Amino acid sequence: MRSEPRYTKRDAEQAIHKPGERLGNFLPEDAPSYEDILQCMRCGFCLPHCPTFAITNRERSSPRGRAQLAKAVAQGELELSEAVCYEGFFCLDCRACTTVCPAGVKVGPIMEHVRAQSRNEVHPLPPGWRQFREFLLEYMLPNHDRLEDSMLAARLYQRLGVQWMVRNSHLLELAPGTLGETAEKMDGMLPKLEPPLRNRVPELVKARGEKRGTVAYFIGCIMNLMYPEVSRATINTLAHQGFDVVIPKSAKCCGAPHLTEGDRETARQLGEHNVETFLRWDLDAIVTDCAGCGAALKEYEELLEGRMDERYLHEFRSRIRDVSEFLVGAGMRTEDLKPVDMTITYHDPCHLAHAQGIAKEPRQLIEAIPGLKLVEMFESNWCCGSGANWGLLHPEESEQVLDRKMANVVKTEADAVVTLNPGCHMQLAWGVRRSGLDQKAYHLMELVGRSLPEESVPPAS
Amino acid sequence: MPSRLSAQAIRELERRLGKEQVLHETEDLHTYGYDATPELKSLPDVVLFPRTAEEVAYVVEFANQNGLPLSPRGSGTGLSGGSIPAEGGVVAVMTRMNRILEIDEENLTATVEPGVITLDLASAVAARGLFYPPDPGSQKVSTIAGNVAENAGGLRGLKYGVTRDYVMALEAVLMDGSHLMTGGKAVKDVAGYSFRDLLVGSEGTLGIVTKVTVSLIPPPKAKKTMVAYFKDVATAGQAVSEIVAAKIIPATLEILDNTTINAIEDYVDIGLPREMQGLLLVEVDGHPAEVEEEAAEIHEVLQRVGADTIRIAQTDEEAEDLTAARRTALSALARVSPTTILEDSTVPRSELASTFNEIARLTKKYQLTVGTFGHAGDGNLHPTALTDERNTEEITRVHAFFSELYDHVLAVGGTVSGEHGIGMAKVGYLERQIGSGGVKVMRRIKNAFDPDGRLNPGKMFIPEDPGNGRA
Ligand SMILES: Cc1cc2nc3c(=O)[nH]c(=O)nc-3n(C[C@H](O)[C@H](O)[C@H](O)COP(=O)(O)OP(=O)(O)OC[C@H]3O[C@@H](n4cnc5c(N)ncnc54)[C@H](O)[C@@H]3O)c2cc1C
Ligand code: SF4
Ligand code: SF4
Repeated sequence: MRSEPRYTKRDAEQAIHKPGERLGNFLPEDAPSYEDILQCMRCGFCLPHCPTFAITNRERSSPRGRAQLAKAVAQGELELSEAVCYEGFFCLDCRACTTVCPAGVKVGPIMEHVRAQSRNEVHPLPPGWRQFREFLLEYMLPNHDRLEDSMLAARLYQRLGVQWMVRNSHLLELAPGTLGETAEKMDGMLPKLEPPLRNRVPELVKARGEKRGTVAYFIGCIMNLMYPEVSRATINTLAHQGFDVVIPKSAKCCGAPHLTEGDRETARQLGEHNVETFLRWDLDAIVTDCAGCGAALKEYEELLEGRMDERYLHEFRSRIRDVSEFLVGAGMRTEDLKPVDMTITYHDPCHLAHAQGIAKEPRQLIEAIPGLKLVEMFESNWCCGSGANWGLLHPEESEQVLDRKMANVVKTEADAVVTLNPGCHMQLAWGVRRSGLDQKAYHLMELVGRSLPEESVPPAS
Repeated sequence: MPSRLSAQAIRELERRLGKEQVLHETEDLHTYGYDATPELKSLPDVVLFPRTAEEVAYVVEFANQNGLPLSPRGSGTGLSGGSIPAEGGVVAVMTRMNRILEIDEENLTATVEPGVITLDLASAVAARGLFYPPDPGSQKVSTIAGNVAENAGGLRGLKYGVTRDYVMALEAVLMDGSHLMTGGKAVKDVAGYSFRDLLVGSEGTLGIVTKVTVSLIPPPKAKKTMVAYFKDVATAGQAVSEIVAAKIIPATLEILDNTTINAIEDYVDIGLPREMQGLLLVEVDGHPAEVEEEAAEIHEVLQRVGADTIRIAQTDEEAEDLTAARRTALSALARVSPTTILEDSTVPRSELASTFNEIARLTKKYQLTVGTFGHAGDGNLHPTALTDERNTEEITRVHAFFSELYDHVLAVGGTVSGEHGIGMAKVGYLERQIGSGGVKVMRRIKNAFDPDGRLNPGKMFIPEDPGNGRA
């Protein structure tokens, strides 16, 4: 068999896409932007930075490969196939590629759209997963009260936490038994379950010392349920730093879990609600200690384009700050801070370092806390393998990504690894336990909280 | 288009190479049908990842038995379509042969497998206090064999030479299944034809490289960085010639034009003077005393030819700042428009000014946006057309622009490719440069290595030409 020449210089005319028209083999609703896809010049600079490519060495699981798959679908050369959708979900959305891409291509968001496309029933997910997802995304997460009242904390905790860890560790295979038994065994590994913070704090926590302004604290769902103590530390810190802290009761989930799952419509509804809620207050900033929330909030402008007045969106966007970004920008008052003697290494959350471009500020914040000593790890901004529900969907790969991270953590010989995102926090805590290390994992704000001379919001017990 | 290989053939491949080493799903074929060259794409039938020289020989045997074309591929950062399977068939990806086999500090050599990433090699030898100078802009991604196959250059070419100058020995599998070894660690070697030199720059058309030995040198002890701005590009070009005429060979001598300067300012806003027509980045390295002396001399030359502003870095941080513009050049240009067509015209240094003038004239004539930067010291320019592949009419003008530019380049004794190779993208240009006689001899050489024209067809020679690769 002698191959026929298959060399095609593309007829570019065919590829002209007019706004509003169906883009190749993508579905009409929530297709990725053709402009974004075409921006990739295939230079390959992203290849060494992509965690999924590092694991597979398979081009289609690389940023360049994913952008080119999307391009082939957009140009009608490839169906919106199961493999294409799989790559959408296999992408960690860690945005490491965007940080290094000369052309500024955002492969993560392109893949978010591919996820939305596959959600549109082209390639339905397994039934169990779908039900759980819909229950969580459409019913529970958008409503804090429902989340809290229904004891969902515990359940979410089980589903997201235990199931995730069990799958991760393959403990089920090693020690057969019911999930319940395993869960018990695993219990020691999970953070202590405190009651959610949101109902324990007043809507306004007053500034201490000379007042410097008013900020809102955006309380993330996972922070609120899994790490209420971190949220408490953040509020206490903001108050200590001279800011009135508003914690709007009616704020809702930022929408990031929905975007991750491809449910853009619910994400948009949540977004609209949050913009309206926060803009009712006269605020200097809207502060979050969840990198995932921060990234999603900062991208509302794109998500809600055409749905809300541009000026509102811009005003909202201009106020969003990661807590490290905010505190360093305002200038930390350090006179009365207590020393926290500890040597730590810092893991850059993808959604902070790559999605928001914030890497300097967390380090400056660490430097501002007396006693904290930072030892840098190799590849501090390489993903930890958590990636929202990525660890659930791809347990083996998640282990591999985590192994690489933990090897770098261990080499620092630091007392603890700290980060600024609940997903990373959970994953790193698990990594530490799993490897039987003496090291601890913290959210940086926990340590900042320890340095405060007094607390505005008392602990639960 | 799904793979045209039979399920049985795929099973056999999986049995011999392991399942993970064989990719044949449509989505995989789509992602091994391109490199960094704009506009080009052609799908393979199967993608294989050999892990040893023996597996490479098996891949060759498989291609021969099934009458399939075979294209070697590194990281696919090529800018002439060298690794694209122009006629389908097998793509052999070499990136899983990526071990550094030896760093020999006595003979100052390093021996590596073909898929080692260029920067990994450079970092590994640097850790032993040694220096591998070739540093293509793609070094974080490109493979060493890809560099060998394209004879890649880099920012340090002027003083330190290009990949060819460091290749001591090669091992390759030829299309008859034989293993060729050529060159060695001896500094001198005149035994027979130099196959090594033939394989360097052969763009994967003569054999598949399975092992590379490169020479290393001690690293320079000191470095000095400076930047000069010019009110017109011709003066910048003249400065380049005069620096070299003053018998100074800088390690780096890079140029950026006004379009590039402005694109950088639009993108990062680092305070470059937007009205300036040219920016020269100069780095000298070597012994500290020598470096100081040369820097002073260059300063003098720059002043004499009439540079508008000259800045010399006093600290490492300042040096970083000064190189920022050059580092961001490509990123800045790439963001201006969806399609970035980066060319590789190279002229004798003395013709830099005339070439810049020609680029300016043609840019106006064809009404395009073209940013030019490049390795001025090597006379190697990268005029970069900022366009949109959807706009066929403009793309036609881009091609006409480059075609006419190459008339000038060839007329002044330059080359159609300084470092990116002929590949698929420039097949039409080769004959214009070396004449039909030259192409005929090349074909005969190709024929001697690959009589069936099976190894990387559609490259170097015009594909539809009868007797492609078969003289
Ligand atoms: C942004 C950017 C900047 C660049 N800067 C430079 C630069 O400064 N200087 C420069 O010279 N180039 C540059 N290049 C071009 C490119 O990176 C080089 O040509 C590089 O050598 C290609 O390496 P690769 O591993 O990606 O090879 P590929 O693109 O995969 O292949 C290139 C050629 O090598 C052949 N090949 C690969 N492996 C083997 C093997 N084992 N045996 C035989 N043949 C093989 C292929 O068949 C093909 O013909 C740049 C490219 C980009 C995208
Ligand atoms: S995504 Fe960016 S870095 Fe990766 S290949 Fe495309 S243009 Fe290059
Ligand atoms: S977002 Fe992360 S996982 Fe996804 S393509 Fe980019 S680097 Fe890879």
